[in-house]
Amino acid sequence: MPTIHFRTSGRSVDFDEGDDVNMLRAALRHEAGVPFKCASGNCGTDRVLVESGAEHLSAPRKRERELLGPELIAAGYRLACQTYVEGDCIVSWDPEQQPLISERAADALTKKWLSGDAEPGRGDD
Amino acid sequence: MADQEVTEFLDRDAFRAALEQAIKGREAKNAPFSTAWANGELQRHHFARWAENHFHYVGPFADYLGYIYANTPATATDAKDFLLQNMYEEELADVRHTDLLIRFAEAAGTTRERVMDIDNCTAVTKGLQGWCYAVSFREHFAVATAALVVGLESQVPSIYRRQYPVLLEKYGFSEEEAEFFDLHITSDEVHGERGYQIVLDHADTVELQQRCLQLVRHGADMRFSYTKALYDTYVAPELQPA
Repeated sequence: MPTIHFRTSGRSVDFDEGDDVNMLRAALRHEAGVPFKCASGNCGTDRVLVESGAEHLSAPRKRERELLGPELIAAGYRLACQTYVEGDCIVSWDPEQQPLISERAADALTKKWLSGDAEPGRGDD
Repeated sequence: MADQEVTEFLDRDAFRAALEQAIKGREAKNAPFSTAWANGELQRHHFARWAENHFHYVGPFADYLGYIYANTPATATDAKDFLLQNMYEEELADVRHTDLLIRFAEAAGTTRERVMDIDNCTAVTKGLQGWCYAVSFREHFAVATAALVVGLESQVPSIYRRQYPVLLEKYGFSEEEAEFFDLHITSDEVHGERGYQIVLDHADTVELQQRCLQLVRHGADMRFSYTKALYDTYVAPELQPA
């Protein structure tokens, strides 16, 4: 049975052979303590260092490639929310890590509203 | 398969298993429009019609969640925070999710105006939207979360993981045009999981557990019916001999 070992928290999560599981979902379900905020590949709070088993992970998705960039990906970093696991792996992270984006979303929104550029609502019926 | 009747309070693991079981046999990924999509049997105009319908199901999703938020007591901080975060992600955290849907729709050959015009969706889609409003407005917050997040939203990764690759490889959409799907494959994994946690934490009586299971079944049935109606309305007539 394959196992994701979350080294920083000491948690291990087993899953059925032949399955592939979203890394952040597995972490949430089993309280493995991976930090996260958006879960959309938008902030990078859930980046993890893959210590082993990179070959058992899905290829980096569009948002992951854009946010991490080739250097961090080459160094072994992945976003847990964007990554599916199909075999054994070991990951770790900095428990104090913050989003990769420098500007808080709330600040960006404030600027947008104050600038008068806010878009109209989505307009359902 | 007969639906499981709950007559006594289930522990966390048993209740989760029952919630998962409630969806089985009703998965929208197995509806004919979904399988035709995954098998590469659709044409671009079918995706335009899909988008013109899907907008009226998911477009008001933050509205549905807003009703649930208002029905959630201040003591359930975890649930309120999840709902607010989910609303924020739908609308403001990044590109508005409905704008990603409209980007795909335009690539498929329709227009923003047509997508936003509810006259262009089926009666079944209107029924799904109405059911979502009714459940979110009227039901206990754990039950409404079970219905909308577990019954509907948690199915998204299993549907789009089949449909997204074929959009790129078979139907010729670009990653940019199909970003709506890639985004939801992963974000709804987490939304679905957090939805499960809220239901498991707050459906704390037999009656609430029963109602959650019933509404998950209803939600899965609604999503299946909505998806089947797309096939019946837009695909099947084209297959009839002239």
